[in-house]
Amino acid sequence: MDTHHLASEPKSVAARQEPDSLSLFFLVFKTGLLTILTLGIYRFWQTTRIRQYLWGSTSANDSALEYTGTGLEKFIGFLIALVILALYLGVFQMLLFYFGLSMFNVSSSATNPTEQARYLVVVYIHILAVLPLLFYASYQKRRYMMSRTRWCGIRFSMEKGAWGYVIRAIGYRLLTVVTLGALAPLATFKLEQYMAERSYYGDARIKQGGSWPRLYSSLTHLFIGIVILLVCLGIFTWGYNGLATALLCVGGVWVAIGVVYYQVKSFAYMTSHKTLGEEVSFKAEPRTGAIIRIYFIAAVGMGVMSLFIIFIISVMTAIFDFGISSVTVGFIGAALSYIFLFLLFQAMKMVMITQPILGHYVQTFSIINPEPLHQIQQRQADDAVGAEGVADALDVAGAF
Amino acid sequence: MLQAQFFDGVTAYRHEVCISVLDDQQALVIHAESLADPVRWELADLRALRDSSSTKQLTLTRYVSSVDERDPARLIVTDNDFIAWLRATQPDLFRRDVRKRTWLRMAGWGTGAVVAIALMLFVILPGMANILAQAIPIEREVAFGKAVTQQIEWVLSSSNAGMQRCDSPEGVAALDTMLERLTAGRDMHYAIDIQVFGHSEVNAFAAPGGQVVILSALLEEAESPEEVAGVLAHEIGHVERRDPMRQALRAAGAAGLLSMVFGDLAGAAVVGEHLLTASYSREAEVEADRFALEMLATAEVDAAGFANFFTRIEGLEDGDIATPEHLSTHPDSSWRGTQAQQLAESQGGTTAILTPAEWAALQAICD
Ligand SMILES: [Zn+2]
Repeated sequence: MDTHHLASEPKSVAARQEPDSLSLFFLVFKTGLLTILTLGIYRFWQTTRIRQYLWGSTSANDSALEYTGTGLEKFIGFLIALVILALYLGVFQMLLFYFGLSMFNVSSSATNPTEQARYLVVVYIHILAVLPLLFYASYQKRRYMMSRTRWCGIRFSMEKGAWGYVIRAIGYRLLTVVTLGALAPLATFKLEQYMAERSYYGDARIKQGGSWPRLYSSLTHLFIGIVILLVCLGIFTWGYNGLATALLCVGGVWVAIGVVYYQVKSFAYMTSHKTLGEEVSFKAEPRTGAIIRIYFIAAVGMGVMSLFIIFIISVMTAIFDFGISSVTVGFIGAALSYIFLFLLFQAMKMVMITQPILGHYVQTFSIINPEPLHQIQQRQADDAVGAEGVADALDVAGAF
Repeated sequence: MLQAQFFDGVTAYRHEVCISVLDDQQALVIHAESLADPVRWELADLRALRDSSSTKQLTLTRYVSSVDERDPARLIVTDNDFIAWLRATQPDLFRRDVRKRTWLRMAGWGTGAVVAIALMLFVILPGMANILAQAIPIEREVAFGKAVTQQIEWVLSSSNAGMQRCDSPEGVAALDTMLERLTAGRDMHYAIDIQVFGHSEVNAFAAPGGQVVILSALLEEAESPEEVAGVLAHEIGHVERRDPMRQALRAAGAAGLLSMVFGDLAGAAVVGEHLLTASYSREAEVEADRFALEMLATAEVDAAGFANFFTRIEGLEDGDIATPEHLSTHPDSSWRGTQAQQLAESQGGTTAILTPAEWAALQAICD
């Protein structure tokens, strides 16, 4: 390597995420318990506190992120969404059930045109009534989270544009379905571009570079998996069942890995082609192997935990003989252990899956040429009334 | 003088600053060459960020009463003694300042949400359920009812290993006789389809589309065929008023709403739904009873059986479509008993609904 090249290499800063797993575990467990005790109301504060914790443990250039959202504003956003959605969703749900009753009519043939029409109505109601809301919710959720995130005292923000996103999301998804997935990279690229180009850090806007056909290489493993499954289908019709079953397993696993590979690679491509303002850019190098290892370790860990719990329960049952002593005692015992297990696995999932994956994405992320960041100015605060209420009401809130 | 880092909230520039507490212990002053003027923060206004993962540092900001959020500036201190001193002397350090307007907004939207959900659960969904229950084609309802009956059979057999469908020819014939006598000369919407399941619970159900299920323990517990006829008339009442279909439609609408309110806490949503079903069905039960008494009177069947049965078996639960056992509320057993008793006393000539031989065959339908 020649020295001239080294000198022109721009400076870069790596991001870090270093949470204390044990305190994160207890935070999730404790807030989960409060959520159950308050019949679910505390869940808004639970999410907020987990975000505060995760943001606080994420840093770049020795400066940590800060999450400024509050549980109360999230709760109010949820109430607003309830007022609007209660009327809408109740009616929708009942109509869906009413038209869905046609599925019980097994006696009539499926070629009956009125039957088919009724079935299509069910499908359309679903697409028309709920899908737009889900896309709307995902945009609003990201916008709210951006507006409540700060770094070096400067806010992130995102412009309004949820309905524009809904229209594009439906269009591109439809295109993906119609082309049997062949245009999936176009959808991924355009939708991420729409969100990214409405995003700011302070007064600096994010620009999305790159081009969508470049995402096709991310589909490699998904493609191989599908080819294996198609070959398997061919062999199956020829009657070699044993071989077909083996291929089915290989193909299935390959497709699952292919999906993760696509997520990881498309994220890396999209992020590495973003720029902030004129000069700051980013590099993301997440690895599929690392993500799969996290899933694998979590599966083994939770599996061992489950076996251990089954062992404990059978020992306890043998000693105390709940079943015979009293039905009520048995019922209360079962309910309490169900709650305990629910909380345990919720916290384990956070510590073994959600945070490690997020952490891997953060650790492999770096800012290239961070120097101009110092000149970035604060942008007007964004009230983001309604927070992510729709996402909370539709339960698409996700893990944190 | 302590070293600290300061972000002024205007630019992302990191100021390396010195901080000092004034002698009167009222305020803290932040100096740096990169700052135009020293910044003064009152100690009482200091706020620290909560749920921070770092124990080695404390991020401070300042409460400002005039704007919606806190001062956007951040001061990061790492000196352990200073952090300990702040924690010890500043009681408001971790206070969350919620403005009065926020509470008012919460109260307003909270009331709105409660009203919207109540309106939905008690006015709009029941109204829609009534309309749709009338509109649904009968063949479709029958197909759905058969699926529901199958579901009930599956649930029952999981709690009672010896569960079976009971259909001895003599027993079925006796049931048919009873049904014919009750429905003779009536214009019925539905063809009633009665099934008996061998089960140790005293219970009967009406499912959509004219499906009626009687559990065998009810036949064994009854002392006369008139008692069974009373229960059957009550279930036919539900069927003719389309209660099961209406309840299924309501439940479908309510399920979406309740899961929205409780999030992924499935347990709470299920309990809420059961309480709701119980409150819906109270009115339906009274109406079904009225229908049953009228039916018994027309068919000249002694209503004393109906009265007896319900007063004798306190706590008999008739689950209609998936009504939970201990939450469903029947009209007060004594009210029901009195009504039936009054009818029984006013009744003129009544004739036995089954012969002793037929009654014996019905009771032995599972053997
Ligand atoms: Zn009833």
